Amino acid sequence: MQPVPNQSASPEQKPLVRVQRLWEKYSVIIAFFILLLAAAVVNENFFTSGNLMNILRQVAIIGIISLGQTIVILSGGLDLSVGASLALSGAVGITLMNETGSVLSGVIGTLVCAVLIGVLNGTMVTKGKIAPFIATLGMMAAARSIGLYFADGGSTTGKVEGFTQIANGELLGIAYPVYFFLLLTVLLVIVLKKTRTGRYLYAIGSNERAALLSAIPVNRVKLAAYSLCGFLVGCSALIESSRLNSISSSSSGISYELDAIAAVVIGGTRLSGGKGSIVGTLFGVLILGILNNMINLMNVSPYLQGLVKGCIIVIAVLLQKKE
Amino acid sequence: MNTARLQMNGIVKQFGGIRALKGVDFSLQPGEIHALLGENGAGKSTLMNILGGVLQADEGDIRLDGQAVRIATPADARRLGISFIHQELNLIPDLTVAENLFLGAEWTNRLGWLDARQMQRKTREIMDLLGVELDPQAPVSGLDSSLKQVIEIGKALLKDSTVIIMDEPTTSLTEKEIDNIFQVMHKLKQNGVSLIFISHKLKEVMNICDKYTVLRDGEVAASGMIGDTDEQRLAQELVGRSVQTQSLYRERVLGETVLEVKGLAAKGLADIHFTLRRREILGFTGLAGAGHSELMETLFGYKAKTAGEIKINGQLVQIQQPLHALAHKLGFVPKNRKENGILKDMSILQNFSLAGLKKFVRNGWILETREREHFRHFQKQLQMKAPQPDLPITSLSGGNQQKVILARWLEADADIIVLDQPTQGVDIGAKSEIYQVIMDLAAEGKSFIVVSTEIPEMLKLCDRIVVMYQGRIAHILDRQHATEGRIMLYATGAQSERIS
Repeated sequence: MQPVPNQSASPEQKPLVRVQRLWEKYSVIIAFFILLLAAAVVNENFFTSGNLMNILRQVAIIGIISLGQTIVILSGGLDLSVGASLALSGAVGITLMNETGSVLSGVIGTLVCAVLIGVLNGTMVTKGKIAPFIATLGMMAAARSIGLYFADGGSTTGKVEGFTQIANGELLGIAYPVYFFLLLTVLLVIVLKKTRTGRYLYAIGSNERAALLSAIPVNRVKLAAYSLCGFLVGCSALIESSRLNSISSSSSGISYELDAIAAVVIGGTRLSGGKGSIVGTLFGVLILGILNNMINLMNVSPYLQGLVKGCIIVIAVLLQKKE
Repeated sequence: MNTARLQMNGIVKQFGGIRALKGVDFSLQPGEIHALLGENGAGKSTLMNILGGVLQADEGDIRLDGQAVRIATPADARRLGISFIHQELNLIPDLTVAENLFLGAEWTNRLGWLDARQMQRKTREIMDLLGVELDPQAPVSGLDSSLKQVIEIGKALLKDSTVIIMDEPTTSLTEKEIDNIFQVMHKLKQNGVSLIFISHKLKEVMNICDKYTVLRDGEVAASGMIGDTDEQRLAQELVGRSVQTQSLYRERVLGETVLEVKGLAAKGLADIHFTLRRREILGFTGLAGAGHSELMETLFGYKAKTAGEIKINGQLVQIQQPLHALAHKLGFVPKNRKENGILKDMSILQNFSLAGLKKFVRNGWILETREREHFRHFQKQLQMKAPQPDLPITSLSGGNQQKVILARWLEADADIIVLDQPTQGVDIGAKSEIYQVIMDLAAEGKSFIVVSTEIPEMLKLCDRIVVMYQGRIAHILDRQHATEGRIMLYATGAQSERIS
């Protein structure tokens, strides 16, 4: 055998490629700090620990859902049912809790219901070979409708003491939901980086056919992604229902799916999958949270939140478009 | 010959600090077929991208029919009559031949409506000119690859192109389709169109071209009339030193039967019987659509079989999905590396460890240091040029990407490895390296099935060659009896004989 000279990877592009990859990797974080700085300059009330904690507490619910959404999107899918699933599983949990008088059974009820919805989504996508958009759109309509039917369009309110502690309790001056959100974020960062399932998620999102031809259990991993997303929705549902000790079948979770998708996209995850990160989503969530907070502090009409959010999404995608 | 159709003088192109082209001269006469040769990275694409208006030269000038021209954009190139037919064809499968031909340049009548009849008439005219019989109203999806290529040529003619660049047009074509394309190229030549033919296949170059230019390291290494050179000398100029052209085949003692396929049938496949022994390299060939690729996908569990049995190491196995195939130590390097093989968002290392990832996991965690160690091992064994395993897989050349995918299965402990068109889009040096690696691994006890339409290379490599025709095995030839002519007889159905 003889050595053959090879000039394959054009070496002249390397410095440029490196800068490009750095930007791709850290653009969200840079954007986040710029925004943080701007917020501090614009309003002196922004940089108080009270306000910062407030932001974290406010984003926890959407944040946890966004983590699930990130996983599903990375695998090349999408979950539109998260908002409706939150409302239904929250109501199921509270109902169960009221019947049994135990907070624990309410917690389990909520989580089981949400995971079941995730499993059903995953089954439709893998076994039924239904496009994720369609399957979860159907699920969104169905779950919302079931919730409305059983609550007769109204709210389900908890009657057991202690339940509100989940969302309103504090440890060292920080609300529980903030811990949940950060803990789950760290956990998922590790899962995606260090486990086989994490690696497979990226592989499937990048090129499903090649992944299948590399003997990867594609269906099993996708099912796991939707189920995990379901579990995270369940966690969010617990916080949402415990916060006011009640959940509304008509208004809870409305458009959460779009907020979550927005956070994921701003965080740099590619909507068609295979590329992105949990850390990106964390910052995407924080960016949206800060923006909302600034709008409040500056007494801008809350009706304009949507406009700001819309602009940020489009700008984020424009900046990240490097392919 | 006084004025050249195209004259490129002293073209220099620099990327960052590196000179990709160091003053290249290139000229093209009317009605000439000019081979542009060079290994990957030699500067062929850069030169052609400058001609096509995709890139700008830093120095040098371009003249068309003696006139200095500036080609700033691909649209400029088109206006000047230069067409670039890329390897990946840009046709829309659901549209008809005529619709594709006129895509983006549709003719309309006075009301602004599409003038389908006139467009179809013109399509027929162009096809007549090219000597091809093709219904303008046929959908493109059902056509074979050579006809798709012809439609791209037709598009070029529609724009009155006088210079057509063809980038490896024969890569995924069968011998017969290649003949079709060559006939069309002859027609074009007769009509005074100049062609630049980029190819790795020297035999084709010898067949069809008038002149050649070999690029090496951004310089013209050699150029001249095809009549004054031969394949051997061209190959030498390509790599810059002598290449072994003799057989890389080594005699091995074949072991027990490791794979036995009996009466296998699937969509488009029937009555498939064959066996594979340890250390054997079994070749599969045939015309495109003869079913060899489908057979391998069925074997690997990617497509469903309708009948028949598969035995691995004497045991009857059920392979319904690729996961099952791996469980029986069967690996698969699929054709069309970009679509089926690589995960372009992932690193070289991650692409490598995908199938055998289980081995790097302890208590649920991936052990990256071990992953790297194993990669280094295969890097050495397969002579992969991948100094930085954390770079994206797309930073590697085709040959090295293919080695990564092969290593993927070796790492996953596959004992039987199927390679479907392993040297597709791979340059000459890397090609022989891949074959050498297969030969070495076979000697060490692995068994291989290699699917290829490049018959001369199959003859160098394989112990036996299975020739398929229309979804069936036409014949299995032993190494001693296999010749290119005989294989073609069976592959084209000119001779058929059912094996017992």
